[in-house]
Amino acid sequence: MDNASHLGVVLDLSPKQWHLAAQPSNPHPITLVASLSHLLAFLNAHIACKDENSLALFGALPGKSVMLYSSTMPVNEEEIQPADANTYRPFKVMDSTIMKHIVSEVEALGEPEVEEPIGFVGALTKAMCYINRVTNGSTSSTSRNDDLATLPDPRILVISVSPDQSSSYIPVMNLIFSAQKLKVTIDVCKIFGGESVFLQQAAHLTGGSYIDIDRPDAILQYLMMSFLPPPGLRQLISVPTQDKIDFRAACFCHKNIVDIGFVCSVCLSIFCQPVPVCSTCRTKFPIKTLQRLNASRPNAAPGSAGTPARSSTPARTATPAISANSLPRSTSINPAAVPRVVSNGSAPATSSPMQNGEPR
Amino acid sequence: MPPRRTNDDYMGGQSDSDVSMLDEDELTSRVKAKGKGKATEGRKGDKGKSKVKEQPYAWEASYTRTWETVQEDEAGSLHTAVRDLIAKGRRRRLLAPAEAVRRTIIRHLILVLDLSSSMMDRDMRPTRFDLMLQYAREFIAEWFDQNPLGQIGIVGMRGGIGERIGEMSGNPQDVLRSIAERHKLEPVGEPSLQNAIEMARSSMSHLPTNSSREITIIFGSLTTCDPGNIHDTLDECVKDKIRISLVALAAEMKICRELCVKTGGQFGVALNEGHFKDLLFELIPPPAQRALTRANGPGAANPAADLIMMGFPTRLPVTSQPSLCVCHGELKSEGFLCPRCLAKVCDVPTDCDICGLMIVSSPHLARSYHHLFPVKPYTPITNLDDATSLSATCYGCSVPFQEKVLQPNVPLVDGISPLGRYRCPECEHDFCTECDVFIHDVLHCCPGCGK
Repeated sequence: MDNASHLGVVLDLSPKQWHLAAQPSNPHPITLVASLSHLLAFLNAHIACKDENSLALFGALPGKSVMLYSSTMPVNEEEIQPADANTYRPFKVMDSTIMKHIVSEVEALGEPEVEEPIGFVGALTKAMCYINRVTNGSTSSTSRNDDLATLPDPRILVISVSPDQSSSYIPVMNLIFSAQKLKVTIDVCKIFGGESVFLQQAAHLTGGSYIDIDRPDAILQYLMMSFLPPPGLRQLISVPTQDKIDFRAACFCHKNIVDIGFVCSVCLSIFCQPVPVCSTCRTKFPIKTLQRLNASRPNAAPGSAGTPARSSTPARTATPAISANSLPRSTSINPAAVPRVVSNGSAPATSSPMQNGEPR
Repeated sequence: MPPRRTNDDYMGGQSDSDVSMLDEDELTSRVKAKGKGKATEGRKGDKGKSKVKEQPYAWEASYTRTWETVQEDEAGSLHTAVRDLIAKGRRRRLLAPAEAVRRTIIRHLILVLDLSSSMMDRDMRPTRFDLMLQYAREFIAEWFDQNPLGQIGIVGMRGGIGERIGEMSGNPQDVLRSIAERHKLEPVGEPSLQNAIEMARSSMSHLPTNSSREITIIFGSLTTCDPGNIHDTLDECVKDKIRISLVALAAEMKICRELCVKTGGQFGVALNEGHFKDLLFELIPPPAQRALTRANGPGAANPAADLIMMGFPTRLPVTSQPSLCVCHGELKSEGFLCPRCLAKVCDVPTDCDICGLMIVSSPHLARSYHHLFPVKPYTPITNLDDATSLSATCYGCSVPFQEKVLQPNVPLVDGISPLGRYRCPECEHDFCTECDVFIHDVLHCCPGCGK
């Protein structure tokens, strides 16, 4: 438990979503400034836990992503206000650097008519690149490698206020798999903006925890209790986990959730009923397969192709009966875990390399 | 290690045509550029033997002066030079052909391990056998990482028979467990290629046409002890569209090369421990479906395309009531329910033990998407002409770029930027060498474009 840990924080800085979160009509309004002060206290606590702990903070802004702070960043001494008797100096340096960067980035946004989609994927990718750089330890400046090369516990905390963008399904999944490969835990703290299926999957697949905060005005408590202990300590400290993550897929044709789907062997598009031609990559399927699949479909009434809903009826009705038995979810903070669709939607269809039906 | 390679094709080539001086030079420069003696690694030529390059014995090839390419940096350390060599090697892999290739996503592989007494040779440290086991484990882990929908079975060759060590399974843990116990795999007797291949072939005979059938053999012996004519087995494999790849540890055997060339696989002889690993790991990325297309003739446009029925299971939480699983018969609370027959299986992806439906979860499908939508290769920046517009730090990891040129006298080779600066053609951001390799090898997602 003596290992140092590296924390990468991805902070969602969408002006629109923060504005919505601060509306007084919300049950518990929270402003960006208030939550930043909570976050800074948490970051200070992380640094204070151990001398070797390191930190990197990335901001996701509309249309771009920036690095706001990292422990290895050179400190600009002149810009720091004179020492304050009540504050530990490294904390003060860190806090003022972060605030200065956030203010300058947010001011640089201007006031566009339509907000661009948030650069969340970029920020998460950068956090991964940074972790790769830090854990590999072979940076060009060789002096600080040796102490950083021993970092065993990299993790990422995502502070999210925006809903999912369906276009980012594939990049987010790729990021999740690379995080698994690098043994990076992804924690998600959802302050506002509804449930995020992508982030739920990210937290589940990397062994992190996804917490949808009920009382955003008390973020600090959630942060301290759930996200401060490094992954090694999580076995001892009971950190909320999710019980219900739906890994069922949605078909590309009707966006229905399917229990049994028909998958193109070339591009892995999912359909809810046998189709003669793949709509994504235009592959033609042999007619024999169609006949065989139509014949073998579960309870497909003869003569009717069967609507997708009908084909999945038996499994669907049986499923809740089993999960209903098992519902004393005492550990879950998120009561609103409704089975949700993996909205991988039409993402592959929009991408270019499939044009000639010969993806790599 | 004494050079122990022979090359049948070379001998054959000598007899009918002289190797011209030009070829020799070209070959030498190629070997030099590669920096690593891959001379014997014969790739499958499209027309078989005629296209296989005649290559000299290792001791006939002009040696590569590896020590001359290593240069000290200003601090007198070899650190940067060694790192550059590594980076160069890894970047070369990135610069693979970029045209659209259809790859097999759903793979079935039988890994055939040589467990004959020749595996106790100590020419590879600690022994060929231990090294093979170690690399086989790494191979399996990496293979499942890149081919989440694939399945691996394991067959051993010892005492003149083929021995089923691991059943075909899509769960890496199952496969790894089957070769976990070293004492059960103790090498003994003679290997039999025919028996092992027949066993592998029969265990793949039921597979549908849209999945690939592959056999990967690690072969350390110089003999094979077969009950019948192995060429008949080879013909059967060609008919069944089974692709055989073989990594030989000792020397090239004619039959081994023939197995690989005729079935469209890859053949290689390992020079040393590192090369062994390279050869084995080259078999991990999904193979292009060239062989199949050719076998079916140009008329069949999409020979292997098919619609597959897959089930997306319901995951049972840890807190559900325990029940018996159909795969191991153990009492467990976690598990997945087959959507068709509601049987409970422990792990996905798998084929349902009761109704045979292929059960996957959506992340498994998503794991294969990066093969379909790769990140475009970055272009190396060779000079600092428009220095004003250049960013000072890497867009990925925010580490500052070095200002000066690393090796001013070295010409541009292999797409290596002398500045350690690579630019994404889409978003025009600059990345350092490490991030470039990391993004293309692991992340498959450009931080600038966000896809």
